[in-house]
Amino acid sequence: MSRRAFALALAVMLATPWLAAAQAPNDGVTVARLDNGITVMVRENRVAPVVAVALLLRMGSRWETPANSGISNFTHAVMVKGTTKRSGGDLADLVASLGGKISAAGDVDYSGIQGTALARFWRELLDITAELALSPQLNPAEVDRERDWLLSRLQRRRDNAPARAFDEFYRTLYGSHPYALPNLGTRESLARIDHAAIVDWYRAFYRPERMTLVVSGQVSAAEVMAEARRLFGGLAAGTPVTDPRIAPPQASGRRIVVAQPAQQTQILVGGLAPSLDHPDHAAVKVLSTILGGGMAGRLFVELRDKSALAYTAASFYDPVHEPGALVLYLGTAPENAAKAEQALLAEVRKIREVPVSPEELSRAKGYLLGRYAMDRRTNERLAWYLSFYEVEGVGRAYPERYRRQVEAVTVADVQRAARTYLGSLSSVVLGP
Amino acid sequence: MKRTVRCAWLVGALASVLAACATPNAAGPAAPGAAAATAAARPTREVLGNGVVLITQEHRAADVVALQVWMRVGGRDEAPDELGLSHYLEHMLFKGTPTRPPGSIDREIEGLGGSSNAFTSYDFTHYDVVVPAAHVKAALELLADIAVNAAFVPEELEAEKKVVFEEMNLTEDDPEKFLGRRLSEVAYRGHPYGRPILGTREFIQALNRERLNAYYKKQYVPQSMSLVVIGPLTAAQVRPLAQATFGRLTGPPAPRRSTPPLPSMAGGRRDDVPRDEQQAYLGLAWYAAATTLAPEDIPAVDLLSYILGDGPSSRLNQTVREQKNLVFAIEAAYVTREQSGTVSVTARCEPKNLDAAEAAIMDVIRRVKSEGVTEAERQRAIVTAESSYAFDIETSEGLAKSYGQAETTWTLDNELAYLGRLRLVSAAQIQAAARKYLGDDDMARVRFIPKGAK
Repeated sequence: MSRRAFALALAVMLATPWLAAAQAPNDGVTVARLDNGITVMVRENRVAPVVAVALLLRMGSRWETPANSGISNFTHAVMVKGTTKRSGGDLADLVASLGGKISAAGDVDYSGIQGTALARFWRELLDITAELALSPQLNPAEVDRERDWLLSRLQRRRDNAPARAFDEFYRTLYGSHPYALPNLGTRESLARIDHAAIVDWYRAFYRPERMTLVVSGQVSAAEVMAEARRLFGGLAAGTPVTDPRIAPPQASGRRIVVAQPAQQTQILVGGLAPSLDHPDHAAVKVLSTILGGGMAGRLFVELRDKSALAYTAASFYDPVHEPGALVLYLGTAPENAAKAEQALLAEVRKIREVPVSPEELSRAKGYLLGRYAMDRRTNERLAWYLSFYEVEGVGRAYPERYRRQVEAVTVADVQRAARTYLGSLSSVVLGP
Repeated sequence: MKRTVRCAWLVGALASVLAACATPNAAGPAAPGAAAATAAARPTREVLGNGVVLITQEHRAADVVALQVWMRVGGRDEAPDELGLSHYLEHMLFKGTPTRPPGSIDREIEGLGGSSNAFTSYDFTHYDVVVPAAHVKAALELLADIAVNAAFVPEELEAEKKVVFEEMNLTEDDPEKFLGRRLSEVAYRGHPYGRPILGTREFIQALNRERLNAYYKKQYVPQSMSLVVIGPLTAAQVRPLAQATFGRLTGPPAPRRSTPPLPSMAGGRRDDVPRDEQQAYLGLAWYAAATTLAPEDIPAVDLLSYILGDGPSSRLNQTVREQKNLVFAIEAAYVTREQSGTVSVTARCEPKNLDAAEAAIMDVIRRVKSEGVTEAERQRAIVTAESSYAFDIETSEGLAKSYGQAETTWTLDNELAYLGRLRLVSAAQIQAAARKYLGDDDMARVRFIPKGAK
């Protein structure tokens, strides 16, 4: 067990580096936009005899409402349960015989299918991905079974104190904005979503112009590209769906206390933050890293190492399309909770009032960009990043642009970011 | 053997982190990967003059190098009145040395653009650093320093107690993690593998510097250390750096490790735990082959566990979850340690389905014992194993982990030959392994039962 697992893992929401190299013409990434609008990218990578596929599309809880919350994820859960050609059991056997894994899920800004296999089975993996995406069976009987499964996951999430605390926090912070909605949905929304709603949702979103397909691994780009054209090129372009305009969220500034039996108390404090393509994004990333990035972050040093007021101490700031959330997070013993929360608020005041030192700024940038690089090494992650940036609309040049922006962040930028984004704070305290 | 968890550095989502990391018993020798995937690349193993084992291999996937220290000391080396010392040491090694003040070690690693991790199990303690290749020398100096010069500043030692207590709380709050822990404690009651890795509150509360330092000086000796360095570097480049750091450490000979006999599970062991969750959890465990106990059976047991409960196509998933709808999730795992392996089946279900789920699991196992497995299942399991190793070697730290763990709890040669052996296992041998190890009565069972459930 690891004292460090926690801090590190909590900071992993990053993004990454070798993509920087991916902009160069000789980086091994081949890109094509097929006539029907689907974007296809192939990254040749000889490191290990494996292959990863990511098919992501613009669909997720951002397009949902409280009434159909969770429908993107629910749709994907049903999609993997069988195609017009194969039963769920046959699919499971087939994927296992490739040394593979396939999963499908809905997220906030994107949904889709991700898979891995031994490289020699890349063609089979791509075929299955296409089958799941383009000809799912969407069997009514599976809708009921998957609903039960999703309800069990909801319950498990509710039983898990940190996971529940984050759900409560986003709900509090985002109010009526769709980012307040949980990916999994709610008991009420899942009960309401029926087979017809899932079929409609699937048809509205599974359109080529919304999709990006990425293959990364020990493969030939020419062969993969030809196969991708064969499998996806025939999909008719749809009528473009116009994405709804979403009113910007208004931070509630509320403090919510939730009772939950557990050994630990969870404390989350935070505010609304910029979207991933906002000019302040890099400065807030650096701010987040100074406060809660790794074991040299201020929260970890001050609240865990020096005063032992918390076991877990980290910050989160995910890159998203709409306004993001900068979240400061503590897991602590209930008897320390009040003191820990005060100490955390003191850290917020301090970073708003006192400029950080150049050394601390430099360490934070090194840590941030180092983690970003580390996270971009496996084919699975590389495929995900390439498709994620495409679906977010920021493109393949984003990582290099982001890296330069992080390097350019100044002491004054950090203080300005703290004053701008850690002014009105919302918080959730969940514990026994 | 397959690894049953991918640990922190690979995990993104909070919930999975909580579930996946810090499962001390989840660590068996891992990944005979390199042999499978890149036949040309083999590790270089050498023993430095002072007994430190150095393992290196070039890995040019990225400009980062993985450095890992594997200590042949863990929970099983603790006397009954030393429980938790190995784990406490793991924490304190990052708390400073005479030349590195408290707090500076983490800052140093992170400032290099690197990351660190550490892990305590029953057979070993593991330290793991990944840094840009340009900083390999700085990282080696740091690791060699903390390996023998930890200062145990009294204030730091006291402050860390609260952190360890919090870690205990956190484990208890996570049902899956706690189920694994409890299952191990019940199955191995009376054996060091049944001890709490974190120790007990009473003992940690009373722990002082002298006690910890004595254990450190006894255990952290060159003969118990293996250093694994994998990255865009040749053995010839790494060797002088390792010599100048780890090669200069001194210390007494490694202490002899105790090897108490395995207790009998005849008649079974049962434990029901009332919990606050709304869902029930079921865990079953059997003793199985280990690296010093019928190691020739390890490949067959490994394949057996894949066939039983790895992924959606496995028998337990298809029967107990898909067909009978008795559980929300189910899996089988096989963990090998030096003195005993463990095959476990864990499931999450409605409280009312606990008995039926257990009966269905036992029925699936009985069928494997009486009818055997199919050739298609055998083939799938081999491909799954091969794939697991191929994915391990994508990163330098994945490869380093498989080598370090094998060196510490088995041998590097066994690791390199493993996948070849796995391919030779017949369906009959898999059936025989099920008959030999998965007895109806020689089993530990732990159930987490919601307090509100009847």
